[in-house]
Amino acid sequence: MAVAQQTQEKESEDCSLLPLVHDIIKCMDKDSPDVHQELAKLKAKIQEAREQISNMPGVDCSPVEQQQQLATLREQVRTKNQLLQKYKSLCMFDVPKAS
Amino acid sequence: MLSLSRSQKLPQPGEDVQVLELLVQRDREFQELMEVAQQQGSVHQEMQLLEKEVEKRDSDIQQLQKQLKEAEHILATAVYQAKEKLKSIDKARKGDPRRPYPTDLEMRSGMLGHMANMPTNGVNGHLPGDALAAGRLPDVLTPHYPWQSSDVSVGMLPPHHGNDFGLEPPGHNKENEDDVEAMSTDSSSSSSDSD
Repeated sequence: MAVAQQTQEKESEDCSLLPLVHDIIKCMDKDSPDVHQELAKLKAKIQEAREQISNMPGVDCSPVEQQQQLATLREQVRTKNQLLQKYKSLCMFDVPKAS
Repeated sequence: MLSLSRSQKLPQPGEDVQVLELLVQRDREFQELMEVAQQQGSVHQEMQLLEKEVEKRDSDIQQLQKQLKEAEHILATAVYQAKEKLKSIDKARKGDPRRPYPTDLEMRSGMLGHMANMPTNGVNGHLPGDALAAGRLPDVLTPHYPWQSSDVSVGMLPPHHGNDFGLEPPGHNKENEDDVEAMSTDSSSSSSDSD
């Protein structure tokens, strides 16, 4: 559980753009020629984030809608299990073979 | 921020701080949204598993429906055939109004036909069944007993009238013969035993 939380925190830090912005500001203060390089890094990071988001499953609807869909699916499974159980508990009779 | 640092030597007092704070706030919101997106991804995986389960249940239910329909068809056919059988039995009991007399086959398979098939020890020159085949009604009504002689075969009354007929003198039999002849629809002799 703790490991999962740590992994999640690391992932959220990875998608933060602040470190890159900080590097850019530092280069600007130093008047370093690496400013453009840092800007390119930021741009790439933003593009990477866009692609990552577009590939994420389940984000086509809001969390509330998704929870509703999940509840509906669970109810469907429950109802169908009940129906099958009802059919299976009916009295059994042998089907006579056609002579 | 770049424009602020390059173009303006004296930025306004709190503007850079505001911009920085805005940046930090946006970054925090972005991270929170990414967390929500990841949670939605997990929920989506669970939903996919549930959808697979629903598909499997649907398949099971369809299979059961198919079997139930087949069973219903078989039962309906059996019930229909049973009803037809009952109707035919009922009709056999009441008789067919179009043909109010028994057929040859029905007579042979009835009690009288079975009695006629009993061994007669040479009383009759030929099997009683031939009499039935000839279609002469009085012969059908006349039982053939092993102790009967060929002379008295025609004049015998039904068995419940007792066993005395075997001891009666021939004269009586002649009277019975007349009665049978009166009952007979055939103009010729009703006896089928004489050859």
